[in-house]
Amino acid sequence: MEESREKFTLETPQVGIIRGVAARDIEVVGGKSVNLRASARPYRNVYTAAQLRAIKSVVEKYGSGKVHLTPRHNLEIPEVGQKNIDRALKELYGAGLFPGGAGSSVRNIFTCPDWCSKAVRPVQEIGTMVSRNFGDMDMPNKVTISFAGCSNACSRPQNSDIGIIAVGKVAASEEGCPEDCASCLSVCRFGAIRKLDGRIMLNEKCVDCCKCAQACAHGGLGIAGTGFRVLIGGKEGTSVRFGVKYADFVEDDFEILEIVDRVLNCYREKARLRDGSTRKKERLAEVMGRLGIAAFM
Amino acid sequence: MDANDVTAGRARGRVALRVGSTGPYSSELTAGQIGAIADIAERYGSGAVHVTPRQTMEIPHIDIAALPDVTTLLAGHGLHIGYAGRRPRNVTACSHWCLYNVAPMRDAALQLNCLLNENENEKMPLPGKTNISLSGCGFSCVRSRTSDVGVIARSEIVITDKKCKKCSLCVKEPLGCQVDAITLAEGAVVIDRQKCVRCGFCSGVCRPGSIMMKSKSFDVFIGGNGGLKPREAFLYRTVPSLREAMELIGSLLEGYRAHAREGERIGDLIERAGMEWPGQKT
Repeated sequence: MEESREKFTLETPQVGIIRGVAARDIEVVGGKSVNLRASARPYRNVYTAAQLRAIKSVVEKYGSGKVHLTPRHNLEIPEVGQKNIDRALKELYGAGLFPGGAGSSVRNIFTCPDWCSKAVRPVQEIGTMVSRNFGDMDMPNKVTISFAGCSNACSRPQNSDIGIIAVGKVAASEEGCPEDCASCLSVCRFGAIRKLDGRIMLNEKCVDCCKCAQACAHGGLGIAGTGFRVLIGGKEGTSVRFGVKYADFVEDDFEILEIVDRVLNCYREKARLRDGSTRKKERLAEVMGRLGIAAFM
Repeated sequence: MDANDVTAGRARGRVALRVGSTGPYSSELTAGQIGAIADIAERYGSGAVHVTPRQTMEIPHIDIAALPDVTTLLAGHGLHIGYAGRRPRNVTACSHWCLYNVAPMRDAALQLNCLLNENENEKMPLPGKTNISLSGCGFSCVRSRTSDVGVIARSEIVITDKKCKKCSLCVKEPLGCQVDAITLAEGAVVIDRQKCVRCGFCSGVCRPGSIMMKSKSFDVFIGGNGGLKPREAFLYRTVPSLREAMELIGSLLEGYRAHAREGERIGDLIERAGMEWPGQKT
């Protein structure tokens, strides 16, 4: 027990002691060391080789030689001494890297990579736009925004406060397709496809994931148009909630920006202290549980 | 190396490599490894690197012809590729330095990774992809409850008879309870067990020792999913030590391999066969 007590300093962190860095950028201000999270915001969620080298040099000079990979695409540099933090940040800023991704703010916007062969619609461009406009904005509680380029959703949009998934409208060609091929039927996880007289029929169970069109080698199925499905109110952690559909098919990138703006504004307006709490405000999922999705429209 | 070790890219003849560390760390990389990845991305790829949600680095746009060179270079730095296809994916763990850790999970994740992935020729084949996530506290930042197998460390907190000095460190910023489960009544600490996520942080903050950590336990969750059909995991069992949790994971994977149909995730198997298939007394 004695040992665990020593790792705490019991003073309140001093906001703004480090130039240009708010206290929330620092995980816990300890007596000796702090956790510094470097992330490639707001530039596309992709690290360049030069940025990695900058991290390497900071880690070697000021850290403990190790880097932790976080689930939200940050590289966390632990054990940077208090006296070195200014210098470490300067080097990171120089390479286009920013600390943050902590506290009651919009966390690192997660986008999946554009080079993935499964992507229905690339999301890095729109992710970067959202990041530039809303990244690190102060919020009542933490807000996570995730973009997924296909319904496989590896960036976990369903468990994010705002999750945006690329979807596409599948269109069957008039020509029909070969008898012996069933690749679209076998990839559909929702039982949405039927084959009648050599023609492909999609029913209302279709979730627009486009897996059938991607699997089709005969040109019988194609993607007629792509858009984004927006889910809000998901979370993961102390409790799990899956996001609820807010908009079904948004074709225009700028409309996504407007939706994010509207949802964040509504959230800021309507979030209040949690029941029985004097300092913690509700997450977006809790506001939605109290007021319903209509409060964000 | 097989087809599951690489991820197809959009450009013909180019693949993305998911790179993880064989050790000494599984959720961490050393400075040298970061440098090596930067060099490889520049020399063989396009200079870009993506950090995946499962704590691996993805180097895209690598020419298939250069794969043998790249894997040799990576191996020289203790890095290896993989983490795709129907097998255990990289075991994720939360940050070793986080003050909320009830039990640091880094080493456990490393051990599991070594057991499941290290032997190049005998990578454990499974009916479907299997995500294993180890969280050191109830805040579960590695998403243990939407993983196929998830572990969350819990601490049992007791209020001792040592008198509370009303310093209120356990309730106010910055070190106070994150979920506001603690109230200070007349000379005593009261914990709302409904709200408490059993992270045990208060026991470290409390100086007079009014709040103490009695024991640790580990909740093992199974059957969670993200992705196309998201699903919340079920609490399978609570065990008193991390070693037992690891053994349980081992036997769960054996049971999964024996009972699941090809392509079935653990969550699908539970949906079809209920919770009986692990074949153990609960």
